[in-house]
Amino acid sequence: MSISDTSPGTPRTWQRFKFPGSLYRYFGLLFALVFLAFSVVYLNIPLERFIGMFGRIGSVIADRYYPPDLEYIRDADYLSSVFDTIQMAYLGALFGMIIALPLGWFGSYNMSPNRRFIYPVARLFTMSARAVHETIWAILFVTILGFGMLAGILALTMFCIGFAGKLLAEEIEGIDMGPVEAIRATGAGELAVMVYGVFPQVRVAFTGIGIYTWDVAFRAATVVGFFGAGGMGWYLKRNVLQIETQRVAAILLSIVVLVLLSEAASAWARARVAKAK
Amino acid sequence: MAILSVEDLKVSYSAAGPQILKGISFEVEADDFFAIIGPSGAGKSTLIRCINRLVEPTSGTITLYGENVLTLGKKELRRVRRDIGMIFQEFNLVNRMSVMDNVLSGRLGYVGNFKALFRLFSKEDISRALAVLDRVGLSDHVDKRADELSGGQRQRVGIARALMQDPKLLLLDEPTSSLDPKISREVMALIMEIAKEYKVPVLCNIHDVQLATEFCSKIIGLQDGIKMFDGPTSEMNKEHLDDIYAMEVL
Amino acid sequence: MSLTADNDTRVEEIIAARTKGRINRSILYGVVFLAVLWSLKTTVVDDTDWERMGSVWEVLASIGEFLKVDWALLPQLWQPALETILVATLGTLLGVLTCIPAIWFGALNISPFPPITYPIARLMMTLSRSIHEIVWALFFVASVGLGALAGVLAIAVRSIGFIAKMSAEAIEDLDPRPVEAIRAVGGSEFQVFLYAILPQVLPAMISVIIFEWEINIRRSSVLGLVGAGGLGLVFFRQLNTFNHGGVTAVIIAILVLILFGEIISYFTRKAMI
Repeated sequence: MSISDTSPGTPRTWQRFKFPGSLYRYFGLLFALVFLAFSVVYLNIPLERFIGMFGRIGSVIADRYYPPDLEYIRDADYLSSVFDTIQMAYLGALFGMIIALPLGWFGSYNMSPNRRFIYPVARLFTMSARAVHETIWAILFVTILGFGMLAGILALTMFCIGFAGKLLAEEIEGIDMGPVEAIRATGAGELAVMVYGVFPQVRVAFTGIGIYTWDVAFRAATVVGFFGAGGMGWYLKRNVLQIETQRVAAILLSIVVLVLLSEAASAWARARVAKAK
Repeated sequence: MAILSVEDLKVSYSAAGPQILKGISFEVEADDFFAIIGPSGAGKSTLIRCINRLVEPTSGTITLYGENVLTLGKKELRRVRRDIGMIFQEFNLVNRMSVMDNVLSGRLGYVGNFKALFRLFSKEDISRALAVLDRVGLSDHVDKRADELSGGQRQRVGIARALMQDPKLLLLDEPTSSLDPKISREVMALIMEIAKEYKVPVLCNIHDVQLATEFCSKIIGLQDGIKMFDGPTSEMNKEHLDDIYAMEVL
Repeated sequence: MSLTADNDTRVEEIIAARTKGRINRSILYGVVFLAVLWSLKTTVVDDTDWERMGSVWEVLASIGEFLKVDWALLPQLWQPALETILVATLGTLLGVLTCIPAIWFGALNISPFPPITYPIARLMMTLSRSIHEIVWALFFVASVGLGALAGVLAIAVRSIGFIAKMSAEAIEDLDPRPVEAIRAVGGSEFQVFLYAILPQVLPAMISVIIFEWEINIRRSSVLGLVGAGGLGLVFFRQLNTFNHGGVTAVIIAILVLILFGEIISYFTRKAMI
């Protein structure tokens, strides 16, 4: 690469940001500042607390949360709740995927059996499942069905429907329509077109999405228990309420470690699947 | 009697959009090997796809074995599609499926949804698949995945899939455009032989006039959605070609 | 045909192979199915208080409670809704500011001392993405007290991971020539970042930030459940007073808010292109 290549290009981009001359830009800046001030006042954010906040957070951690009570998380009850959490995550992800499969089909513009009615309905359903936060689903199911893992699994199922449904639909929208056309031309029904023309094309991606769904479901599963929907979150809630800060620290630590482990496992499995294609 | 007759076929993709086909009529007889030639954008591909309604025409009639294809319901349409084999420019195989399953998918118009779901094909179907694979010279590649094959081999799988349908008409959409000249000739020759053996009339989109005159018995020339020529290959001369490709010359 | 006998044996072979594959798959699915049944038994059947749940009719009746939407509550939701939006916005902004070092360290081509700084950045991103916003909020409520500040901090920390990861990836495949130019005039590493790299990836970053902001609205709508203000707090109060129609009203408000966020981000994106 010669110097004459680089030099004319660079000052152009550089200049634009060095001298923001336009009035427009200043107005934008002013607006942002006013907005910032308004938000801080409106939200009653105590700015003085910002000063030395990180030092204070540090000392709070050091005084109250350190050392984490590692004995507590080696307790058999707690460990079985971890196992429950893993089970909830995989059941939720499994049921979510099973329901998301037809939703992904119906909600993909190119393959939906009916674009005027079924497509928007499937889209709407997926979007609502996604828009409502998983903790809200958990609370709703706990209120209706009572405490326990049933509520948690259903909440995670709804969450996974929203999460996977969108990804699956997008994947189907990205397929090569050639084989679909060919299978249609043989006189196959729509289900056969899906099984032969679409599914082989998306199988690898779907497996990846399934693993990823399990991964995010596990992350969500660690907290649904906080609202009574089973799993380790319940221990978190109890200790937060009892201000057993060192136990809370230990639980948080275990959550981080487990999530990192699950993320590593999921990344490994997805890499394997991607290679297998 | 004509096997396929198309009358005054008009297509536009949207109500306000341009007309792709502007009233095409022609007839295909029992032993015809018909070529549709014309510059790209003339509507060749659309015309072929109207016959089995992969594209829905705006108006006109298409009569296949005495039945108007355009008024059929979903179920009857599937039955008619089953009788029309189609071979594509990009082969349109399912790459991640074995050659065997790709060929068997030609029977999907005959098997029910449940059997299709679990890939349950009868002994006759499998025996037949082996026979057609043998016929197109691929009996050694049965268990390979479709994406392991070369272009010419893939198109042979495409031919085998169409033959599995036991077709009463073959539609070919630029079957050789993705192949090199030598392989193109081989594939066209194979299709011609097979059409004779199975006594199937063929309707073939083809860009290459040379190939068309070499292999096809009749030719339709399309230009900008209008039929410019329709007759035996022997009657076509340079002036007709100039007519058809006038746009390209300009 | 002489091939027929040969053909027949091949057909038999193929059918045998296909049947074998089908049986193997069925066994696999069967095992998975049994495992799922067993999990369902240990989780759902054993852990559910069936008596408390009552009959199907009682469950339907309690769902019915939620369907009697308490529309009267809606006018009171303006303020918490605004709070939720503001928490999401401030949180996103703060997140963008704090993620700048993470981006700088985390893009391999500009990381100042990759063996040390790159893992640090990756750890920051992973921690931020791995820990659920509810957990972050609990942590900040415990350390800075109840209120919107804890929510803003939780959202900010939770946003770092995604913004930093996407931006670092954008930086890793940018045009290296302007970078060389700034290096050539003797700019420091940070100046290179500010003057040659940031301008190039800004459009991509802004689009990521808008996307994250949209997600943050969804997140900040529930932070009130653990004491960090906004609609979540109202939700919690309605639930505790058993006003289930009010709960539905809050959910509707959240959905409207998210729709609003999507519309805004749609038009912002359009305006940028």
